[in-house]
Amino acid sequence: MTPSPLVLDGLLVGGMLFALGLVGILARRNLIVMFLSAELMLQGVSVSLVSWSRHHGDWGGHMLVIFVLTVAACEAAVALVFVLQAFARTGRLDSAAWQSLRESNLPRSVDHELPAVDAIPFQFPRLTPAGVAPEADEDELLEREHV
Amino acid sequence: MSPVASLSTTGSILAVAVGCAAASLWLLLPRGESGVRERMAARFGTLLGVVSLALFVATGHRLGGLGEEAVFLVVSLVAVISGVATIVTRSPVYSAIWFALALAGVAGVLLVLGAQFLGVATIVVYAGAILVMFLFVLMLAQPSGMASYDRVSNEPLLSAVAGAILLGLLTLFIGRLSAGPADCCAVPSKAAALAAAGANTAAAVAPEPPAPLDPLAADHVARLGGELFGRHLLAVEAAGVLLLVALIGSIAIVSRTPPEERFERGPRRAEA
Repeated sequence: MTPSPLVLDGLLVGGMLFALGLVGILARRNLIVMFLSAELMLQGVSVSLVSWSRHHGDWGGHMLVIFVLTVAACEAAVALVFVLQAFARTGRLDSAAWQSLRESNLPRSVDHELPAVDAIPFQFPRLTPAGVAPEADEDELLEREHV
Repeated sequence: MSPVASLSTTGSILAVAVGCAAASLWLLLPRGESGVRERMAARFGTLLGVVSLALFVATGHRLGGLGEEAVFLVVSLVAVISGVATIVTRSPVYSAIWFALALAGVAGVLLVLGAQFLGVATIVVYAGAILVMFLFVLMLAQPSGMASYDRVSNEPLLSAVAGAILLGLLTLFIGRLSAGPADCCAVPSKAAALAAAGANTAAAVAPEPPAPLDPLAADHVARLGGELFGRHLLAVEAAGVLLLVALIGSIAIVSRTPPEERFERGPRRAEA
């Protein structure tokens, strides 16, 4: 029996999400973004499983997706602990900070000098000043402007 | 002749779409370039991505009603576009926010596919719990400003090509699925198989075809729960043990690190 058009489209969306997660986990270097990409792959698998469940008209895919959710929660807990430990040791969320774990015959990946960021800073709207100017808190000056 | 010709036309359109998607991802991924070139690449990448998505939509299958089609189109576009933004955004915090939007899109797709409980559970568990945990870790660990490793990628071209190859193979397989029942790759539905088995044994009680998973059925969650705690009871127990083990394991890993190994950072800590 040919799957219904809705099932086929669901499979296509699931495949797209899986491929996007694959690209993210291969290309990005931030440990957290790599992890988000893995979660994106899990989402793609979930969509495919529910599509097949609809095709077969039974609950098997739904059950598998429930267990995917459970395992994803466990995986996120353990992996985020590992990420925090890695950050505590190196001070970076960089996967290349752990390249001493690579095979001995592979070349070392070297970062080239990056050009300076010359992005236009975001301008918040200015309100008309009113009242007296508050004293500048020196703790406040140390806070980050953006994330 | 005409179905074959139309199939090959669809195939070539899909091949162009996959190629455009790969080029778009390559252009959009961070490659450590200066601002002007980066903005140009982002512009071209967005253009190619829109072309690719439009081609995918144009070759998509026609669903039953206009409303269903429009809803599915919107939620799947939200899911895929937010997925792209998740992996190409430089700042990991914005990446996590885009991932939340992708989760909303995926929940919509699951709803359209008739999985109302899973759609809600995706929002509650993923966006409500897992994503918040991600954001906690990001707030703990993200250095201020743009880190250098967020501005470069490992092999963006090869990664985009790998993703395109995977997507091309999946699209090919899905296209063969839709080609027809005479094809070698058609997947037999369980209902058809049951009907065939019933016809073979000529049983007096014909197996009734399973009810379609109606998203608006009143007893959807009740039947899901019956299946989960009936047929899959052992798996539920195993999942409970797995959750407990993950909890204990993560606490054990955190509490074992000696405090002197911790990396000292931040302006306040340095001044003190």
